[in-house]
Amino acid sequence: MLALQILIDGFAISSLYALAAVGFTLIFGVSGVLNVAHGGIMVVAALVGWFVAGELGFGTYIGTLAGILAGLLMAYATYFIVVRPIERSRAIPREETEIFILTGTLLWGIMIEQLMAYIFTDNPVTLRPLIGGVVNIFGVRTPRNEIVIAAVSWAVIGLLWLLINRTQRGKALLAAAINPRGLTLLGFELSRIYLLVWTIYGVLAGIAGVLLASFLGVASSNTGPLTASAFAIVVLGGLGSVEGSLIAAYVVGYLETLTAYLVAPTLRPIPPLLLLILVLYFRPQGILGRR
Amino acid sequence: MSSPARIEIRGLTKRFGGLVAVNDIAFDLRANEIMGLIGPNGSGKSTVMKLIMGIERPTAGTIKLDGVDIARWPSHRIARAGVGIVFQHSRPLHRQTVLENIKLALLPDSLLRLAVDPSVDERARAIAERVELGDVMNRHPSTLPFAFLRRMEMAKAIARDPGVVLLDEPFAGLTAAEVAAFSKLIRSFRAENRAVLLVDHNVKGVAALVDRVLAMYLGERVAEGTAEEVMRDETVRRVYIGGKIEATTQRGRVAAGTAPLLDVADVSVLYGKAQALDRVNVQVREGEFVSVVGLNGAGKTTLFNAISGLVPYSGTISFGGRSLAGTSAAAIARGGIVQCPETRELFGEMSVRENLDLGGQHLAADTRAAQLAWLFDLFPILNERQSQAARTLSGGEQQMLAIARALMMRPKLLVLDEPTLGLAPVILEQLSKAMEQLRRTTPITVLLGEQNVTFALPHADRVYVLEHTRIVWEGDPLRFAKEMGTGYL
Amino acid sequence: MKRLPRTYLFWIAVAVVAAAAVLPFWLSAYLLGVLTAAYYFGVFAMAWDLLFGFAGEVNFGPTFLIGVGAYTAGILNSVLHWPMVLCIVAGAVAALIGGLLMALPALRLRGPYFGVITLVAVLLLQYAIVIFAGITGGEIGMTVPDVLSIDANVNYWYALAFLVVCAVILYVLSRSALGLILQATGQDPIEAQALGFNVTKHKVAAFCVSAVFSGTAGAMLVFYMGTASVDTVVSIAIDVQVIIAAVLGGRRTIIGAILGAVFLILANELLRPIGQLNTFVVAAIALAVILFFPDGLLGHALRAGERE
Repeated sequence: MLALQILIDGFAISSLYALAAVGFTLIFGVSGVLNVAHGGIMVVAALVGWFVAGELGFGTYIGTLAGILAGLLMAYATYFIVVRPIERSRAIPREETEIFILTGTLLWGIMIEQLMAYIFTDNPVTLRPLIGGVVNIFGVRTPRNEIVIAAVSWAVIGLLWLLINRTQRGKALLAAAINPRGLTLLGFELSRIYLLVWTIYGVLAGIAGVLLASFLGVASSNTGPLTASAFAIVVLGGLGSVEGSLIAAYVVGYLETLTAYLVAPTLRPIPPLLLLILVLYFRPQGILGRR
Repeated sequence: MSSPARIEIRGLTKRFGGLVAVNDIAFDLRANEIMGLIGPNGSGKSTVMKLIMGIERPTAGTIKLDGVDIARWPSHRIARAGVGIVFQHSRPLHRQTVLENIKLALLPDSLLRLAVDPSVDERARAIAERVELGDVMNRHPSTLPFAFLRRMEMAKAIARDPGVVLLDEPFAGLTAAEVAAFSKLIRSFRAENRAVLLVDHNVKGVAALVDRVLAMYLGERVAEGTAEEVMRDETVRRVYIGGKIEATTQRGRVAAGTAPLLDVADVSVLYGKAQALDRVNVQVREGEFVSVVGLNGAGKTTLFNAISGLVPYSGTISFGGRSLAGTSAAAIARGGIVQCPETRELFGEMSVRENLDLGGQHLAADTRAAQLAWLFDLFPILNERQSQAARTLSGGEQQMLAIARALMMRPKLLVLDEPTLGLAPVILEQLSKAMEQLRRTTPITVLLGEQNVTFALPHADRVYVLEHTRIVWEGDPLRFAKEMGTGYL
Repeated sequence: MKRLPRTYLFWIAVAVVAAAAVLPFWLSAYLLGVLTAAYYFGVFAMAWDLLFGFAGEVNFGPTFLIGVGAYTAGILNSVLHWPMVLCIVAGAVAALIGGLLMALPALRLRGPYFGVITLVAVLLLQYAIVIFAGITGGEIGMTVPDVLSIDANVNYWYALAFLVVCAVILYVLSRSALGLILQATGQDPIEAQALGFNVTKHKVAAFCVSAVFSGTAGAMLVFYMGTASVDTVVSIAIDVQVIIAAVLGGRRTIIGAILGAVFLILANELLRPIGQLNTFVVAAIALAVILFFPDGLLGHALRAGERE
């Protein structure tokens, strides 16, 4: 009974993690950027979604769309205000760009967190479920919303897979991840490719943020932990490996759910962090990472 | 040559995964001797140097320094045992002066000796004078010209008076006058009883300096002897220029008077402070097949990258009468100058077909299909391998794919950089046939960069010779065979 | 030619320290308190700069070392009632051990990966403190029985003296033979090795030095405030502030870190009237500095000097 409960809850949260992490890993794979403001973007999407849906009274569906749009806009802002200026700066030595982007997006994440706390306070908010009600799965009462979340997550991941593997534009994205120089020589503007990746990322982070708000609830103070879990997943899976991230999302999701049910809910984040340290010590390239 | 061997290398082998970078190399290096270790890109010469310095660990073999096996020692211990190295690229400490940079090399490897010994200061000054940096030793490196920085690296390498000095392409980025001054400096090392190992791309550049040359190719030793002997060696000539230089009948398809399609005028390129290209002029007329020949490191790739908009340059490059300044690399490619780079830059994890499709993505669907059919005709092997991942292809097939992918873009000007690099003779022949067919059946204009003259000449209407950042000769292939046939290597 | 400006700078430094020393006669107790905290912060930032600016190791979690020092000292004092000085020494030793633990992955991992480890280290330390709430006080924090002094002026002078001592030691260290070698290993470890330096040894040493100073400063801070809490010594927010202070002042300058820390803490206080938004504004300023003056304030000035 408990086992089944863990299985179902873990699956839902893992799907959500997978969705959030896929965008994060895509950006790294294609443009080499580690976006530490990731949690902030999800939080903005969640809070805007909640605000438009509940406070302004437009309902869950409009709110969801507004949240996704907010996620997209924040992704653009991150790219144009922080990432691109650092990449193009002449004053920053090439070999330090990575560190500057990390520091820059870290600061940007803090700015987002503080601004959100200022506007929406630090209280957790919950978006009303897209679909209400409860179903009984082999004796476990499961909210319908949990099933919807898992289904939507996988549908979006599936669409992304189709986009990358079955369309011309998507192929170019993949090619940029493998060999950006080769792609330039074939007449593709990398700046446009990057813009496309950030667009996809923004939509994914937006959807993940809104879904999270309707599942567990979101507060501005979640910014850091959300980034940390995405980071843990992506590093575990191997930076830049989408398949690796999907697997790692389930490892982390179930590990957390197990801890929450069997040990204590407050200790939820610890096992993944310990696992992350172990993996970094013994297999720095991650589960499916390429070196 | 009676002095004992400072360095004795036997059976030195290094594998990186499945790749054998260095295979069973053996040589001695004596005091008072300057030895050249030469080979084209990927020959393993730099790896040998790194193995001696302990930066890479040998898979097998021994490296004896004055009789003691130092193979597999950590780098810093080898350095303390008396080996100094000058890297090709170095990053000096920018907050410190030249003198302080030299002092660094004199410091003991200790955590507790915080104060710099006064004798260190004296010695650093002496070394600065020794490499003729006396006048600038209190200046910061960022304010100095490139040649001075190279001198500073030399000073660091000889600071602790090592018995063995390793030099990695010491002349790269220097002007002719600077090369002469540098050679003098290196000769003085020999006079100081040191053993000097000089790694470079080609014999010619170091011929006047070295006592002995060891030539490497694909990890193997191919020849050893004096510079003259090595230059005359058949294998070396085959490795470098593809064998005999043969005159070919001239085609003269293009009237000399037509305006150039591509006009490279007075183009210079600096990498940081290093001169990579010095006021180069090259013209390519429509329908012409022009070859730029030159050894590795002469500047061919730099020239092509400038044309493709991948590196900043001074001077002007115009295409079809319009200057390319300010045009992005991708826009230049879409505009008709398509480069097939030396490194091929394939999308390894993607299939052959996907690679080709990416090349044709800017075309309309029907044109793309026609182009693809034509290319499969030109390179039938690619048709067979359509669904195979690019990285699983053989070297020759990868090269064909790279050329085909570039041709998918229907270039007005195809820039081919070292297509023969590391390919077996059989493949060269296939490639040569494809070139010939391309020439015969299409109006394409080609700019080819090659070290392998045998490959470059038969197709060329005109030839440029690039040597050490400059164009030193230009003319038709017939004249090349007569005038440059012997002096080229 | 180079000598004159340096002695000049030395006298400026003496004058600044002298002026700082007489500040208690002019300033309110409140402002003194702010500066006292800023001085401890300055030590955090200098210790961080030694590790990043010189040894080239990106430590995103300086509060791991600070927190280990602070909590070790605090627990020994409140639970075992060790004398204060002994507690501070023990804090430094514990931080040293923490530094060695951190050095281990640093030697194996490339920049960003190591950065992640350091962040995770802070999170894990936080959880450990919460789990062992019995002796650490958990999320509420702990109170220590002993304090440095109850007089604001005396506390200020302690902090100033500590800062000056640390600054002198770290500055001299950075200018010494060891500093040169560290800088070389940070910039190009392969070349440093080829010049005959055991890079591993020097990097570990840099971690130890940084850890000892961070830990001591953390312990001192606890005895200044009389409390230790997760929010003040083991938090990502503090990590970010330490890093900002060092980057703002100018990497690889040591002294710049003090300027950055004082500027940052003062800015935080001055912006207190705008309430919650003050962290936002400070982060925005720091981001602007990173974007427009990546060399930092002092670094920018020094660089202009080099160009002459």
